Amino acid sequence: MVFSSILFLFRFLPVAFLAYYLTPKRLKNLTLLIASLVFYSWGEVRYFPIMLSVILVNYLAGLGIERFRERKKLCRSILVVSLVFSLGFLAFFKYTNFLLQNLNGIFGLSIPYLGLTLPLGISFYTFQIMTYTIDVYFGKIETEHNIINFGTFVVLFPQLIAGPIVKFSDISAELKDRTITPKMVQDGIALFILGLGSKVLLANAIGSLWTEVETLGFTAVSTPLAWLGIIAFTLQIYFDFSGYSLMAIGMGKALGFTFPQNFNYPYISRSITEFWRRWHMTLSGWFREYLYFPLGGSRVKPLRSYFNLFVVWFATGLWHGASWNFVLWGLYFFVLISLERLWLKPFLDRHRLFSHVYLLFAVVMGWVLFAITDMGRLGVFVGRLFSFVPGSDWIFYLRNYAVILVLGIVFSMPVLNKIRDKCPRITKWFAIPFLALVFLLSTAYLVDSSYNPFLYFRF
Amino acid sequence: MQILKKYPLLILFAAFLIITSIADMFVSRREFSEMENRYLEQRPKFSFAQLWRNEYTPKYEKYVNDQFIGRDGWITLKSVSESALGKIENNGIVYGKEHHMFEYYRTTDERRIELNTGFINKFIGQYGEKTPITVSIIPNSYEILDDLMPAGLENIDQQAVIAKVYSELDSRAKTLDLEPVMRRAVAEAKKNNPQSFPGTESQIYYRTDHHWTTLGAYHAYRAFIQSRGLQAVELGALEPLAYYVDGFYGSYYSKCKLFSAVPDTIEVYDIPFDSITIDGEEKSTLHDLSKWTVRDKHAGFLWGNNGLTVIKSENNLNHAEGETSRVLLIKDSYGNPFAPFLTYSYDEVWVIDLRSLPQKMSELMEENSFDDVLILYNFMNYASDTNVAFMTY
Repeated sequence: MVFSSILFLFRFLPVAFLAYYLTPKRLKNLTLLIASLVFYSWGEVRYFPIMLSVILVNYLAGLGIERFRERKKLCRSILVVSLVFSLGFLAFFKYTNFLLQNLNGIFGLSIPYLGLTLPLGISFYTFQIMTYTIDVYFGKIETEHNIINFGTFVVLFPQLIAGPIVKFSDISAELKDRTITPKMVQDGIALFILGLGSKVLLANAIGSLWTEVETLGFTAVSTPLAWLGIIAFTLQIYFDFSGYSLMAIGMGKALGFTFPQNFNYPYISRSITEFWRRWHMTLSGWFREYLYFPLGGSRVKPLRSYFNLFVVWFATGLWHGASWNFVLWGLYFFVLISLERLWLKPFLDRHRLFSHVYLLFAVVMGWVLFAITDMGRLGVFVGRLFSFVPGSDWIFYLRNYAVILVLGIVFSMPVLNKIRDKCPRITKWFAIPFLALVFLLSTAYLVDSSYNPFLYFRF
Repeated sequence: MQILKKYPLLILFAAFLIITSIADMFVSRREFSEMENRYLEQRPKFSFAQLWRNEYTPKYEKYVNDQFIGRDGWITLKSVSESALGKIENNGIVYGKEHHMFEYYRTTDERRIELNTGFINKFIGQYGEKTPITVSIIPNSYEILDDLMPAGLENIDQQAVIAKVYSELDSRAKTLDLEPVMRRAVAEAKKNNPQSFPGTESQIYYRTDHHWTTLGAYHAYRAFIQSRGLQAVELGALEPLAYYVDGFYGSYYSKCKLFSAVPDTIEVYDIPFDSITIDGEEKSTLHDLSKWTVRDKHAGFLWGNNGLTVIKSENNLNHAEGETSRVLLIKDSYGNPFAPFLTYSYDEVWVIDLRSLPQKMSELMEENSFDDVLILYNFMNYASDTNVAFMTY
């Protein structure tokens, strides 16, 4: 079930939340667990046991590590087994066909591919679960004895299928004891509506332009239309992803949880380094904490630190999809971040305008690598962008999408926040009509939706 | 009241969500949407097998969406919002000048076109020796009304593709190029009615529908008859028979549901006839008059797309004593308003729609003899219809 659907908004949401609020406090987690399992099974009932087994193995690993705390070697084995088990499923479902593809390609074999679909949200929940077992092993957090609390942490429906990636330590206290105030619920609703609007009114409305450019075929579009298309994708992926996160954070808040922020206006950054501190913050945070630091981070010899950086960005790329273009996309950021570290950063800091232009150009080029999985087509598209092909096809699309593109650009900057800070009185009066309008329009666009994709099936 | 003042958003949102959800569960389910001219999804039957194959839940989601309370109102709200955002396209329909809607048609199925041309060639190979066969592909509205299209929209150049089809046809086939015919018809209509809007009677193609109008069909009829060296009925002779059906919202409207769409008027000629037989059943009227009052009005012409329709009349201006001339029209829905005109040039008009033909084409061709065969398809249908193959069965 996706959040942006009539079924979720007018069936699941009222039923789940009412049941949750009416349940006595000590049973609230059980209610959440059941609701979340229904939510997950609705989309993919067959892979339900996989998630269950991963939960069970990591739960037992936590108990085992606590029980044998003194026996270092045994503890380490328990950790390794649980990690192999969790990552094993992820690797099997996500990367088997990719591996076979490469083997077939390199050795001229014809091993048949497996007819697998990726279990919903596996990349997200695997990473979340790992934070628990690793942190327990290093003694950063206590073992969770209550399997309902632990299960709730993993399958909590707001963040289950598209993040943010919540670490166990982020919400372990709230899992045990949390207060829910009407103020929190109201704030949560506001965030949820803003997220829904981002996804339905902006991402979907803008994204169809990129889809149209793709359907036309890259050989058939003019250079201006190619640029319009990739700018549309740039805005779509931001509003889609951040909208999803915002909906999750809002629902979390209404349930009494404080989920970490996931997007912080990434397109206003002035360097790629800064961009990745503002884009999918929980993912970059995860890689920093659970891969980069364990490798030694930057407190090692320079050469080794760049190697560490390389590994992290290779993995980040691969996490986004089992295809070479995603690896390329990750390594592209490795190169840019390395350059910024070596000498570019001070220059960017001194030149405001240049740094914005540089960042936007670099990010848009990144999305070119990200959006086109086929290397041949990628080459054609880059050719379209940079060797001028005239044409008048863009006039129609510009006319059709101009207003929504401008809205997208405006809302990708912290405009609403500025208004709120500058004129708090007006905001108070306009907030409710504005949110009501956004919600009603979102509903209307969902009822008559011709284009409502779920972009994270690859993640 | 105190709590509403303190937490207005919370109260309003919760109330709206709960009331709408409950009301939605009790609202009666509709079979068919007049506005969208399509059947709506009904509650799927639950089975574990379907759930396991992930087939149940998507159907259920579609069902909830299709039956959502106030669906038509929500659709209109979206349409208003889209207009406010300056959008000139929705669901594959673009908005042109003078309230004309057109198809967004940037790619076409070249393989299907080649296959269909192959089937026609096979048909001509079988019957072309003894019967003159004319092939005509009707250009769709955007191709002819190009000056009303939104600037910069480069749809498929239909005329180029049609010319290629004609060049690939068996040399025994006669072709009837309708592009100049339709352009002349549009120019003439404009001349007769310089304020082309809102004078619907002078339209050659509908504004809200993909079909040509009755007038458009008439011009094509005359061109065909003249190409066969026969006499065609004059428009002036038909005019006393005309009546009008107002408030036609066609297929383009059903797709885009533009709240400000201007409906079309359908022109019908009450042409006299002796008998009309549709798939063996005799009818008392040429058209299904009951359809003039519902949304899907175009389906009234010739009772819709039926397998075999035979019209007999004494209208034939070319009638020769002691002889019965026969024309065979193989067509899609564009042929429905077209066929009745043929009664003025042949004694018997046989009309075939391959999408629902109950018998084999070869049987029909062996049992009957025809003075003329006309294969008449509109371009977009020719590029997508998989039933043209039945011509060779």
